Amino acid sequence: MAVDSEPQFSDPSHDGSSQGIPLLELTKVSKYFGGVRALHEVDISVREGEVVALVGDNGAGKSTLVKIVSGVESPSAGEVRVGGETVRLDSPRDAAEAGIHTVFQDLSLCDNLDAVQNLFLGRERHGRLWSGRRVRRHLMEEEALRVLTSLSVKLRSLTTPVAALSGGQRQGIAICRALISDPAVVLLDEPTAALGVSQRGEVLDLIHRLREQGRGVVVISHDMKDVRQVADRVVVLRLGSRVAEFRRGAYTPSDLVSAMTGAAEPTND
Amino acid sequence: MTVSTSPSGAPPAARRTLVSRAIESATHRSIPVLVVLAIIWAIFYSQSSAYLSFQNLTNLTLQIVTTAILALGVVFVLLVGEIDLSSAVLSGVCAAVAAGLVVNSGLPLTVGIAAAVLAGMAVTFIEAQVIMFGVPSLIVTLGGMVILQGLILVVLPPEFTISVAATPFAKIASTTIPAGMSYALAAAGTVAFAAYRLFQRREQVSTGSSASVAAVVVPSLVIAAALFGGVFTLTRQRGLPMPLLILAVMLLIAWYATTQTRYGIHLYAVGGDREAAQRAGIPVRRMVLYSFLVLGACAAVAGMVDASRQLGVSVTSGSGPLMLNAIAAAVVGGTSLFGGRGSIWSALLGALVIGSISNGVQLLGLSTEVQYFATGSVLIVAVAADVALARGSLLPGRR
Repeated sequence: MAVDSEPQFSDPSHDGSSQGIPLLELTKVSKYFGGVRALHEVDISVREGEVVALVGDNGAGKSTLVKIVSGVESPSAGEVRVGGETVRLDSPRDAAEAGIHTVFQDLSLCDNLDAVQNLFLGRERHGRLWSGRRVRRHLMEEEALRVLTSLSVKLRSLTTPVAALSGGQRQGIAICRALISDPAVVLLDEPTAALGVSQRGEVLDLIHRLREQGRGVVVISHDMKDVRQVADRVVVLRLGSRVAEFRRGAYTPSDLVSAMTGAAEPTND
Repeated sequence: MTVSTSPSGAPPAARRTLVSRAIESATHRSIPVLVVLAIIWAIFYSQSSAYLSFQNLTNLTLQIVTTAILALGVVFVLLVGEIDLSSAVLSGVCAAVAAGLVVNSGLPLTVGIAAAVLAGMAVTFIEAQVIMFGVPSLIVTLGGMVILQGLILVVLPPEFTISVAATPFAKIASTTIPAGMSYALAAAGTVAFAAYRLFQRREQVSTGSSASVAAVVVPSLVIAAALFGGVFTLTRQRGLPMPLLILAVMLLIAWYATTQTRYGIHLYAVGGDREAAQRAGIPVRRMVLYSFLVLGACAAVAGMVDASRQLGVSVTSGSGPLMLNAIAAAVVGGTSLFGGRGSIWSALLGALVIGSISNGVQLLGLSTEVQYFATGSVLIVAVAADVALARGSLLPGRR
């Protein structure tokens, strides 16, 4: 099977990831929109240096989960713990302060702003109040250059509005944003969708690098190949509930697909 | 800002400095409007040489002050992707409040000014709350305009008019700054600008970036030429009129706030993509509120300057073409109706374009319909030119 021969990031030290500290822990999180049950008592945890993939069919509740963890929506019930402490993520700012950074599928870039402004959006380096919080552009430009070069994202100019950049460059900027705030947990929503082959490789590389830095990484993906390559654990959602969890190497693609579609209901573990 | 740099003289992208970039970005969208302005001036000058006389240029600048101040507030609201139709009538209400307190109640001028600004901000605060509740700003401010037309009848005394002639209130417009003092101000402005550029360059150098001395000197010389040229032109009659100084100070504050501060980046971010701004932790609703509060303050100042120039407040204050002129000025100047694009200079440039047409029409004694035809056409042509420039082609776009 071609999928099985895909190279995987071998990292034996992460096999015993259950011993790490849970950076992010969701306990019995539910979300209802009126009478619609989007999420029902979902438990998920991410530890230091661990990549957890979240898979599921359309309508499985992945987007709702992303919104809850990124602070866009509040859960109807349940608990979110970051580093062992219960937190309320009422706004994206709360989530950022708790150390959770989300890279959204639509990248959430402001097209009319340039690369530097987008990288630091909401976290600008600025002066004192008496200066009207003057933006310290030179500091931001240098840090931006450093981060962009470290991930080999090449831009013609730091001052072009990002609307004029290519899809790969925009994705690069969106992901570099994750490194600016030095978050404990990085949440990536469909990071490889709509990317070319080499760019996809770069993104998977970056996920690996985030894990090496000891961050917790949550990847939401449709792509079974990506999931098999990067994930230490795979959590399967179906119709708002957690239906299965697999460890690296302990599943086949058909296990995932049957769990996602509910074709063969596996035992919940 | 009538500065322009030739693209061929710009350094390569990697060495591009903050300064040249700031000027480029500010002028890029200003190019079409500067061309339109030059064409208008050339046409009227060819008809009457009096058009570009010192006297008429001073008149022109005085005529556009009210529109420009109001347009400045409108730019802030357009930048966050909202619109406002009520601020012209609001300016009349604020002027009535100020004139009522100063002239009829005999309170000090400062109290009247403060009360008018607070009243303006209070009205836009309420409008912003309703907009945040979810009603489109077009409807909120359209309704607000009608309500304010009623409110001005309530605020004005039973005779529906307040004359401010020979009162402290009239001094707002009639005060002129002597030529010597004006030149001193221009010198101070030049020095302050050069010092700020030098400070920025030292910041860059301190962190290892390359920054050329020319990036400080060249813009400073251009600013000096603009300031001294302006003062020279405008002090030929009686000295620098106070309303122009008020406008200049407001533009300066607005330029600093929108281009140099964190508030400015957030303002453009909210206009560019609200969802993205929200996710980045920017308080979107508060940014919209701030824009409306700025508009309220601008409307109050515009109303008081206008009342002081007209020597009175009446039911017609703030009515007529003022509102549409202010919106047209902002749009002609290069501010997008859809938010996130444009600069505060568009208020000044757009008001100059619209003011230049009506001034020329009056000077030549042409009939009023010519003014309407010309103003309307310029609005459309200026925006069309901007669209073509943004697309880089005269051919129709795909959308």
